[in-house]
Amino acid sequence: MILAGALVLIVLVGITLSAVISFWWAAESGQFKHPEESAASIFDPSEPIGEPTDKFPRSES
Amino acid sequence: MSVSIAQPITTSRAQKIGESDHAKNLVERQLVDLSCKKVVSLLFATSLFWLLMGSALAIAASMKLHMPEFLGGSDWLTFGRVRPAHLNTMAYGWVSTACLGVGLWLMSRLTRVELRQGPLLWIGAISWNIGILVGTAGILRGDSTSIEWLEFPYYATPFLLISFAIFMFEIIRMMNHRQPGHVYISQWYVLAAFCWFPWLYATATILLVWFPVQAPAMPPINWWFAHNALGLWFTPVCLAAAYYLIPKVIGKPIHSYYLSMVGFWSLAFFYAWNGMHHLIGGPFPAWLISASIAASVMMLVPVITVAINHHMTMRGSFDAVRWSPTLRFVVFAAMSYTLVSIQGSTAAIRPLNQITHFTHYTVGHAHLGMYAFVTMMLFGAIYYIMPRLWNREWPSAFLIKSHFWLCVLGISLMTFSLSIGGWIQGWEMNKAEKGFMEIMQITIPYLQARSVSGGILTLAHLAFVLSFTLLLMGWSPKGGRPTLLAQPRHTETVST
Repeated sequence: MILAGALVLIVLVGITLSAVISFWWAAESGQFKHPEESAASIFDPSEPIGEPTDKFPRSES
Repeated sequence: MSVSIAQPITTSRAQKIGESDHAKNLVERQLVDLSCKKVVSLLFATSLFWLLMGSALAIAASMKLHMPEFLGGSDWLTFGRVRPAHLNTMAYGWVSTACLGVGLWLMSRLTRVELRQGPLLWIGAISWNIGILVGTAGILRGDSTSIEWLEFPYYATPFLLISFAIFMFEIIRMMNHRQPGHVYISQWYVLAAFCWFPWLYATATILLVWFPVQAPAMPPINWWFAHNALGLWFTPVCLAAAYYLIPKVIGKPIHSYYLSMVGFWSLAFFYAWNGMHHLIGGPFPAWLISASIAASVMMLVPVITVAINHHMTMRGSFDAVRWSPTLRFVVFAAMSYTLVSIQGSTAAIRPLNQITHFTHYTVGHAHLGMYAFVTMMLFGAIYYIMPRLWNREWPSAFLIKSHFWLCVLGISLMTFSLSIGGWIQGWEMNKAEKGFMEIMQITIPYLQARSVSGGILTLAHLAFVLSFTLLLMGWSPKGGRPTLLAQPRHTETVST
């Protein structure tokens, strides 16, 4: 019981710790700066902002 | 691009540079999609096979609740085997397999790194499906572990763990080789999901299946795993899809990138503490359950941030659900995410839990999460991904619309009937003078409605599988553009 509890607690704390370490890395590497740039990063000249990319097949409007 | 032919030479040169970027991006995206084509399609095709299997098992299990003699002649079709077989084929066979495909494609697209070619990912996909096949056959044979969400017998689990390790390392490899710059929010979600879930699954499997701990320790580990499978595996992959697909489909960046980060990091920090609230009233330390109740209520933070962000991004573009098959599924799923999360947080509070615990209300809540949110999101993602992998449109708008409306009708009927029936059931069970069989009789009409809803959902799945098969067989128009889908008319009028 104690061993099982300890193992779960290790994993539980480990997951939280992995989040803390990732958060620290994200802050250090400037991931929280220029949010507009991040939000627009999925667009590019071939699929620019303002251009929808999905519609029903053979639909006219 | 709105460029006139009579523009000066400088603009023309700029346009050429723009066109060169345009072509470069097109080729890059086509190569990424091409690299995903076979493995991701295999994952989607097998996930749909399991969806149909899970649907058949669901109807059988549901019918048995109000017609106990139905298919009662064979051992392997008894309720105790059919019900866990349904849960596991749906959770691992359909949802997890589709999540693997969606996660791999999303990460490949966002990192702009092609998926690894060669046998490794094939081995991963095949081993995954062998694991589910062996596990489902084992449950029906009578080898279920009887631990909810982990019913697959011990001999099926190594296949799943090996596969998951292969896919996890592929996600990490793509992340390592990504192009420099910002990590988009969907990448965070996919990376987290593919790293957290193998960890969770391995821990729970070792402690509950391979080397079972003492009985009193099993329920907390069981519910910690079961709840975190939803929160740290299905939810992150589906939110990653929503954060990519909503902006891409309507052509508008996410409303607030800050809010999306608040949502992700609050999920990362607090979700792992959820799960024990399923054991309210059980013989466990009160602090353990209270910590989970607090974490469950804390989940309102990521849920509300995601809901506000998606709603504000969609504001002014809701009309798009009329012309985008992807968007109508994704928006329905995103709205259901808000609903199911608020319902979950409230159901974790002790006074409400005293009514809903051990009733059909919880089953309705689980279906609202796993179907209205997760499954609908995956349907939307597959509608977006497949035409891009195969350079073909979907064969029929009618089939897509039928699929959507049957899903909406089916899941609405199921959720309402189980929620109302479960609430009445819980209310009556708290009355000491009421007999158990009397309460069972009260719930029968709601269980019959559940069976009807299962039939409607199965029809929806058949429509989707038919669409998918026709697309794979090439019975659909080929497109001439990299996205392979024509633009809506209103955007053509502003473009040249």
